[in-house]
Amino acid sequence: MSLSRLQNFRLLLAFTATLMLYGCSSEESTSSANTGFAGLGQEADGFQHAEQNQLLTFPTDHAAHPDYRIEWWYLTANLEDASGEPLGLQWTLFRQALMSPSERPAPTPWAADQLWMAHMAISQGEQHEVAERFGRSHSQADLSVPQDSQAGVISSPFHAWLDDWQLKASEEAASGAFSPLTLTAYSGEGKSRFGYSLTLTAQGPLVLHGKKGFSQKAANGQGSMYYSQPFWQIDGNVTLNGETQAVGGRGWLDREWSSQLLDARQSGWDWLSLHFDDGHKLMAFQLRGGGDDTDQEQGADYRSGTWITPQGKPTPLANTDIIMTPLATSAVAGREIPTRWRLEVPSAGIDINIEAPYANRWMTTSVPYWEGEVQISDRASGEPLGEGYLEMTGY
Amino acid sequence: MIKSLPTVVATLLAHYRRHPGQLAMLLLGLWVASALWSGIQAINATARDSYARADAMFDTQLDQLERRDGAPITRAEYHALRQAGLPVSPMLEGEIVTQDGTRLTLIGIDPLTLANDNPLAQADTSRSLTDFLTPPWQTRAAPDVLTTTTTLANGKSLPPLALAPALPPDTLVMDIAAAAQLLESGEEITRLVAARGTLNEAPTGLTLTRATRIATPGQLTESFHLNLTALGLLAWVVGLFIVQAALGLALEQRLGMLRTLRVLGVSGRSLVLALSLELLLLGLIGAAAGIASGVWLARLLLPDVAATLGSLYDAGVGRELNLPWHYWVGGLAVSLGGLLLAGGGVLWRAARLNMLELGQMQAWRSGYRRQLMLMSTGGALAVGVAVALYVWLRFQPPGDGLVAGFALVAALLLASALWLPPLLALALKVLTHLARRRPLVHWALADMQLQLPKISLAMMALLIALATNLGVGSMVGGFRLTFLEWLDQRLVAPLYLNAPAEQYADIDAWLADRPDVSERLLTRRSEALLESIITPDVSRALGTPIELYGITPGESLIPHWPLLANQQDREAAWAAFDHGAAFVNEQLATAENLSPGDQLNLRAPGVYETLTIAATYPDYGNPSGQILMASPQLAARFDAPPSSMGVVLHPNADVDALREALNERFGLGSDALSDQREIKRVATDIFERTFTITRALNVLTLVVAALALLASLLAQARSRRQQLAPLWAIGVPRAQLAQLSLVQLGGAALVTGLLALPLGIAITWGLVAIINVAAFGWRLPLYLFPWEMAVTLATAIAVALLSAALPALRFWRASPRTLLAEEANQ
Amino acid sequence: MLELHQVHKTYTTPQGALKVLDDVSLRLAPGQSLALMGESGSGKSTLLHLAAGLDLPDQGSINLSGQNVATLAEPARAKLRREQLGLVFQQFHLVPSLRVIDNLRLQARLASRDDTEWTAYLIARLGLEGLEKRYPEQLSGGQQQRLAIGRALAPRPSLLLADEPTGNLDETTAGEVLELLLSLVHETQCALLVVTHSPKVAAPLDRCLRLRHGKLINTAI
Repeated sequence: MSLSRLQNFRLLLAFTATLMLYGCSSEESTSSANTGFAGLGQEADGFQHAEQNQLLTFPTDHAAHPDYRIEWWYLTANLEDASGEPLGLQWTLFRQALMSPSERPAPTPWAADQLWMAHMAISQGEQHEVAERFGRSHSQADLSVPQDSQAGVISSPFHAWLDDWQLKASEEAASGAFSPLTLTAYSGEGKSRFGYSLTLTAQGPLVLHGKKGFSQKAANGQGSMYYSQPFWQIDGNVTLNGETQAVGGRGWLDREWSSQLLDARQSGWDWLSLHFDDGHKLMAFQLRGGGDDTDQEQGADYRSGTWITPQGKPTPLANTDIIMTPLATSAVAGREIPTRWRLEVPSAGIDINIEAPYANRWMTTSVPYWEGEVQISDRASGEPLGEGYLEMTGY
Repeated sequence: MIKSLPTVVATLLAHYRRHPGQLAMLLLGLWVASALWSGIQAINATARDSYARADAMFDTQLDQLERRDGAPITRAEYHALRQAGLPVSPMLEGEIVTQDGTRLTLIGIDPLTLANDNPLAQADTSRSLTDFLTPPWQTRAAPDVLTTTTTLANGKSLPPLALAPALPPDTLVMDIAAAAQLLESGEEITRLVAARGTLNEAPTGLTLTRATRIATPGQLTESFHLNLTALGLLAWVVGLFIVQAALGLALEQRLGMLRTLRVLGVSGRSLVLALSLELLLLGLIGAAAGIASGVWLARLLLPDVAATLGSLYDAGVGRELNLPWHYWVGGLAVSLGGLLLAGGGVLWRAARLNMLELGQMQAWRSGYRRQLMLMSTGGALAVGVAVALYVWLRFQPPGDGLVAGFALVAALLLASALWLPPLLALALKVLTHLARRRPLVHWALADMQLQLPKISLAMMALLIALATNLGVGSMVGGFRLTFLEWLDQRLVAPLYLNAPAEQYADIDAWLADRPDVSERLLTRRSEALLESIITPDVSRALGTPIELYGITPGESLIPHWPLLANQQDREAAWAAFDHGAAFVNEQLATAENLSPGDQLNLRAPGVYETLTIAATYPDYGNPSGQILMASPQLAARFDAPPSSMGVVLHPNADVDALREALNERFGLGSDALSDQREIKRVATDIFERTFTITRALNVLTLVVAALALLASLLAQARSRRQQLAPLWAIGVPRAQLAQLSLVQLGGAALVTGLLALPLGIAITWGLVAIINVAAFGWRLPLYLFPWEMAVTLATAIAVALLSAALPALRFWRASPRTLLAEEANQ
Repeated sequence: MLELHQVHKTYTTPQGALKVLDDVSLRLAPGQSLALMGESGSGKSTLLHLAAGLDLPDQGSINLSGQNVATLAEPARAKLRREQLGLVFQQFHLVPSLRVIDNLRLQARLASRDDTEWTAYLIARLGLEGLEKRYPEQLSGGQQQRLAIGRALAPRPSLLLADEPTGNLDETTAGEVLELLLSLVHETQCALLVVTHSPKVAAPLDRCLRLRHGKLINTAI
């Protein structure tokens, strides 16, 4: 979930443009030349930086880290409704610091140093519903009373919210526990109302990516703190077109925070989270630099990933362990998007085809990107192996 | 043909080098016509631009939520509503005063939750959201307010300014955090807003005002601008009279030249083309000058207009002109169109010029006789139109037919103007016949007949200006009388107080114990939906929001409160009122065609009530409908909160002492208590301002008419001298001749003035009985002011004498040699 | 140069139809001069107007430089007038708002034949030197008529039509103006048709015709 999420921080910077400006099309291409996609390659003076050997502690690290520039709580789920029809959903809470800790304004009423953005999507068949919310908060606000802040995240009992979109520990969960959680988010009225009310139960442990949670994102050592809960069992109700039905399936939650993620020359990325039917999980991403290691202009593609056993034991995958090859593209929202891929991880004996059954998973949010369900099959035999989520940015 | 065109145009224009006065008069007419017209259009355009900006603002685009009890909403309540899933956004609104005394509306918004297609959120073209959200924040404002200082009267500073042309005038928009600091509002906000229609119902304790329910200033002020436009049109027409006179004269004097040019080989078509080019050239110069002065004039008048609109309709209008491109093009088109209208006759005559025609004077006279016939017929037609419009209006519900009302007045004006020259001609003919034994008088009258064709247009202009002046003057005067009387009737208590809603009960109890207080007049306000109306004939569904106003009918109020219509008598009406019947204001009665005895079905949250109308009452200055009930009834049936209280004291009680005691006991702010005189002063102020523009335009129109007369007299001064010289030669003293010309013109002006009197009264009637009812919803009694009429007559004569004085003086001071030369030339 | 062939012209007046020209034919060769005499109302001015294309005949043809004026449209007649004809009237018909020099050059300019040298020569010959900046009414009658002659000759017309050119002048001045007119006409090889009732004016011309009640009554030299 990492890098495409980073693209979304471009959203945060650029939703300025769509929300407040009349037009904003040309900015992207020029600024990415020197600050990386979405400004995520820019220097982050005054912020705390993600580094190796920073040990993660729980439940504390489930909460927000306002001293870092960016952060997210990112859930995707592959579900089925009562009639067995597949259904995908996404819920994401993004946080961005508006300024470094030293520049924060006094916590007067309404004054904000943190900007929040949340996305939700429900996909079934050709249908793809998207909603977006924004909010503000001050990092010094007392979050023990949720009504003191429009948005926030606390660790114990876990509670992440922006307005009525909330991911929080169930009432039966022990104090500080990260499972079970409930997720509620709705949008629209009447016939066009959609949303969900779900219970998430962890079937395995948290998984730390990279080196004990430090996930390198560029050859020069920049990176993020990154862990996941890929083992969610999900049950609950989904409302679509104003009608509510029971659903169930599996989900994947990503947690990531950083202050400077990217190489300034990287332009976009492709990210995968896969559930194999045998219980294995795989996270893999590539940052598209468009050149090789020696190309100083474009920078090299940078790949990374984690192979996770059904018991939750992670094996980090390095650049050379992963080969990602786009096989076919679809025309979506006026762009050519690769919706069929070949993924090879020789060290894990993986050679699979990844295919998005529906190409129209375009997120029509303030800055758009592609995010949708995929199905995986053995490349040699064509045998179905599982499902997952794919996210693509910068196309 | 094209090659010789410059020579022809140059030859035509050479005339004005010898007669700069004619050129000046022509340009003056064009200038005045387009200056007044474009000035008013500039005001209208600026106002419309302001309305458009205001319309696009939250008022009309967003639904609003406020607390029922009027107390502010807090930030925690807002968060709670958001966390309950309501798509509301907080808004802070307050007034700030800059160091130079400018009062500005400050609006604090949260762009993150505001519906993002709203201009408030979009009112930026360059800066990023981060700049808006984070210190030092940003002040967004339209260019019209950027001239003021950024330091406030209280020493605080506004965040740096950023241009946002889409914002309404005098409005600053900034992040709610910055606004909260400037307004020191703490955790409180003014209201919550939501995108239109996103809320099904108001949350508990809040009232929801739908965007569609809020009348836009554009609609309210439409009639005001129509009034302005009508006055501008009038000035334009009067200006064109001058142009027509000047052009006619210039043609008259150049007939010889035109004929010579034709003889020398200029084809008729070339000549008309050259004349059109001349017109175009003069038109462009006149229009350019006119539009420039129009803009200047508008700049001069705009503050008053803005103040009027602000006080009458609560509509914000920028103090700075804001003119779209089509304003300039339109102004030019109107000026040139007017010139073409005025010059069309000249071109027509030039095209039909007979190269061999001689002895044209006789032909011209018979031509004028034909013109008089045409004028009489045209006047009769205009009267027909006026009568038809009047009959049509009789069958319209009152309050309809604003445009028809203006058309009726215009038709009356036109008819009178057209009938003026035939009337003058007839009078002269009769008088000439009567005076045949007195040679000098006889000559003077006969001579006047000869002059008439040349001054009749100017006289028509004078008539129109005089009548309009009298009509509007009487209307304003009558309105003033009515309004002041009405104010006296409505404001019976010497002291009025405004307090927080929850304090009234305590204050009321405390006042009840005071020996010096004789009566407490508590008012209440609420809103309801007027669902339907039941009259004896029909029942009509409406669904319009309406204001409910509660008063305390008691000893001090009942005898004075004016009523327009009631079912039986005043007493019965008040008795019914006390028992729950309603009064409706004249505006509502007019708009919905209501009369006493009809019933109203009203709906408010949790309330459904049927009220019987017991009477109608005048409610000047209120742009919208209102239903009046007894305060206790309004409280019981609609749960209406108190809104103010009038305190009536016993005779000889000390108002100031009570004032102080009230302040001390309840800690009311300085704004909370106002005395009657203060309220009256403010109301009268508003009234005066409303008609400042009307008066100013009226005077300007009169000035233009005077100029028209002066111009036509000056223009014919030379030929007049030629006609007077023979009389001087045969022994009539110069002084006597000069006096005679004054008397001649004074007499004509007197006739014009006399005709202007009934016409002015007709206009007054049209204004109070039709136009005001349609525009504002209230009808005024028709007052006549003998003094105004005398002034009108005097003005007519004064204008004529002033205009005649200069030529007469010149003649009187002319040397005998010049006069001899004139005679020799004849 | 100019040829009238069986020209008829009748005016409608309140008193009935008035036959002004009755079957008039005449010829005028280039460079030739012709006096047309007759009482008031004999139709001589009408003939001149017809020749100038200011009015149209009811019948007959009027050939001027090979064109039948009677069949030309108004713009063509106007063109013919400004380029081929010079006109001199009893009342001068100067443009009061133009200075002397501009009056003199007016027709030449209209005909796009403005010639500074020729204009200067005319000014000198007409004795108007030093008066160029004046307006017509600041000139004497003789000067005004000389100016009118200059205006007519400035575009170098092939035919000069004069209607009682000395009718408004005293005898001495009339003699001077006539002499000047004839000498200039001679100089420019221009044909000349003068309408006059004065034998003194008619005498120096090549031919003289007399009109009575709309008919030419003799064709003497």
